[in-house]
Amino acid sequence: MLLEQIINGITLGSIYAIVALGFTLVFGVLGIINMAHGEIFMIGAFIGVLITSVFGLPLWIAFLAAIGVTVILGYMLERIALRPLRGKQGVSHLAPLISTIGVSILLENLSHHIFGAGNHPFRHSFAQIQFQVGSITIYLVQILIFVISITLMVVLSYWLSKTKAGKALRATAENLETASLLGVNTKRTITTTVILASALGGIAGILVGMAFNSVNPQMGLSMGLKGLAIIILGGMGNVKGAMAGGLLLGLAETMIVAYGDSGYRDAIAFITIIFILLLRPQGIFGKNTAEAGR
Amino acid sequence: MLGVILNPYHLQIVSFILINIILGISIYITLSSGQLSLGNAGFMGIGAYTSALLTINFDLPIFLGIILGAVVAGVFGILIGIPALRLSGVYLAIATLGFGEVIRVIFVNWESITQGSIGLSGIPHLGRELFKSFQITGFDPDMLGLKNNQFIYLLVVLTLLLVNILLIWFFIRQNKSRVGRAFAAIKMDEKAAESMGINITYYKVLSFTQGAILAGFAGALYAHVMAYISPADFAYHRAVDILIFSIFGGSELIWGAIFGATFMTILPEALRFISDYRYMIYGVVLIAMMAFRPQGIIDVSLLNWFKKKLKIKRGGSLGIRTKKYN
Repeated sequence: MLLEQIINGITLGSIYAIVALGFTLVFGVLGIINMAHGEIFMIGAFIGVLITSVFGLPLWIAFLAAIGVTVILGYMLERIALRPLRGKQGVSHLAPLISTIGVSILLENLSHHIFGAGNHPFRHSFAQIQFQVGSITIYLVQILIFVISITLMVVLSYWLSKTKAGKALRATAENLETASLLGVNTKRTITTTVILASALGGIAGILVGMAFNSVNPQMGLSMGLKGLAIIILGGMGNVKGAMAGGLLLGLAETMIVAYGDSGYRDAIAFITIIFILLLRPQGIFGKNTAEAGR
Repeated sequence: MLGVILNPYHLQIVSFILINIILGISIYITLSSGQLSLGNAGFMGIGAYTSALLTINFDLPIFLGIILGAVVAGVFGILIGIPALRLSGVYLAIATLGFGEVIRVIFVNWESITQGSIGLSGIPHLGRELFKSFQITGFDPDMLGLKNNQFIYLLVVLTLLLVNILLIWFFIRQNKSRVGRAFAAIKMDEKAAESMGINITYYKVLSFTQGAILAGFAGALYAHVMAYISPADFAYHRAVDILIFSIFGGSELIWGAIFGATFMTILPEALRFISDYRYMIYGVVLIAMMAFRPQGIIDVSLLNWFKKKLKIKRGGSLGIRTKKYN
C-alpha cells in the first residue's frame, strides 16, 4: 500500500518537476516569473486531447503536435510580451510579471472559449494496462510518465552542462552583459530558453492528461502555482533543485491524500514553502545569498 | 429627476469601483515601500469572513464588524509581515501568494464555521441596515423621488465615497509626512535608507500592515455590500486583479491605483456586449499596456503635464496652489 502510494507520488512528482523546470529555466536566464507557463502547459494538454481523442491519432503524434504548438506559443510570448520590455529605460521589474499575467488571462479564456469549461477525457489505448508485482499494481502509464520525465531531465542536464548552447544559456543566466561581451548571442539564447521552457510545459501537459485522464482550462492555474512553489522549494533558477522539489511535492501531496486530510492537498505546497522560506530563504538547494535570486 | 438617473445596476458598479479603489490603495501602500505582496486577497478574505461571521452569529452592528474585520486582518498582517521581512522581491511575492492560497483552502475546508465552498449567505446588507435606521427617523425616500431599492444602493455608494475620500486624504497626507518619505527612501535603496537612520524593520512592517488592514477593511465592506461571500471570491484571480489595479494605473502614485481600479472595474462591464471575448480583451490590454507604457498610465510626468495645463487654464496666480496636489 505504502509502496503504491510512493509510486503514485513519484509519477506525480516527475510531472511537477518538468513543469518547474520550465519556470526555473526562464527565471534563471531572464530573472522573471513566467506566469503564463501554467497556461501553456494547459494548451499542451488540450492539444493532446485533440490529437488522441478527437482525431484518434497515436500518442507520439500528440507529443509532436503539443511540442510544436507550445514552441510557437513560447516564441510569441517572447516576441510579444517579453522582448518589448527588455532593455527599456524605467521599466519596473513588475512589468514582465504583469504582461505574462496578461498572456495567461488571454490563453485561459481563449481555451475556455474554444473547448468549453468542462473536463475533457484523455483517451489512449493503454490506459488500463497494468502489472502485478507481488501485491502492488503498477500502470503502464505510470512507467511511461516516469521514463519520459527522467529522460527529459537527463537530456536537459546533459544539454545544459555539456553542449555549447547549454553553456551559452548558463552564461547568460549568470550575467547577461558579460555573456554578451564574450560573444554569446544573448538574444537568441533568451528566445531558445523561453521556447524550451514552453515545450517542456507542453510535454508536461500531455503527461498530466495521461495520468489524470482529464483536462480543463483551469488546470493551468493550479499547476502554475505549484510550479512556483517548487522553484522556491528548490531554489530559484536551480535545475536540480526544481527536479528534487517536484518529486518532493508529488510525494508529499500523495501522502497527505492517502493518510491525511485530502482537502488540504492544494495547500501543502504553500504551507511547506512558507516554512522553508522562513527557515532558509534561499530554498533547500539555493545558493547562500537570497539577493542572487532577485 | 434623481430617480431616473440612479439605476441600481450602475450604483452597484460604482460601489464595486469604490471598494476596488481601497484594494488598489492597499497594494499601492505596500509597493510604496518596495515590497510586492500578493497576499492582499487573503487579507481581504480574512476581513470579509471575520465581519460576516461576527455580524451573523453575534448580531454585532455592521460598523463594529467592519472595523473588527480590518483589525483582525491587520493582526495577521503583522504576523505575516515580520517573518516576511527576510524575503524580498520575487520570494516575497510568491510567499504572500502562497499565504493567500492557504487562507482560501482553510476557508474551503473549515466547513463547520465557514460553510466551505458554498459560502456564507444572509450577511447583513450595509445599505439595508442604514435604510432601517433612516426609517426610524421617519425619512421616506419618496421625498427625493426615489424607490426604496435605489435609495439603499445610493446609501451604500455615499458611505463608500465618504470612506474613500477619508482614506485618500489620509494617505496623501501620509505620503508627505516622515512616514511617506521613509517608505520612499526604503523603496529607492534599502541599505542607504538604513544608513541614514531609518528604522527599516518598523517601516516595512508598518506599510505591510497598513496594506493588510486596508485589504481587510475592503473585504469587510465587500461582504456587507454583496451580502454573500465564498472562498472563490478571495482566490488567485482576486490577488492578480488587485495587483493589476496598481500596476496598470501606475504604481508610483496613489492616483495610479485609483485610476487603475476605476478603469479595470469599468472595462469588463463596458465590454459586456461581447461577453465571450471580454476577458481575452482584458488580457490583450494588459500585454499592450506593458509593451507601450510599462510604468502605468499615470506617472509623475503625466501628473506634472496635467498640472501645467491646469495652471495655464486658471492663470498664474492660482498655479502655486495647484502645486499642492501632488
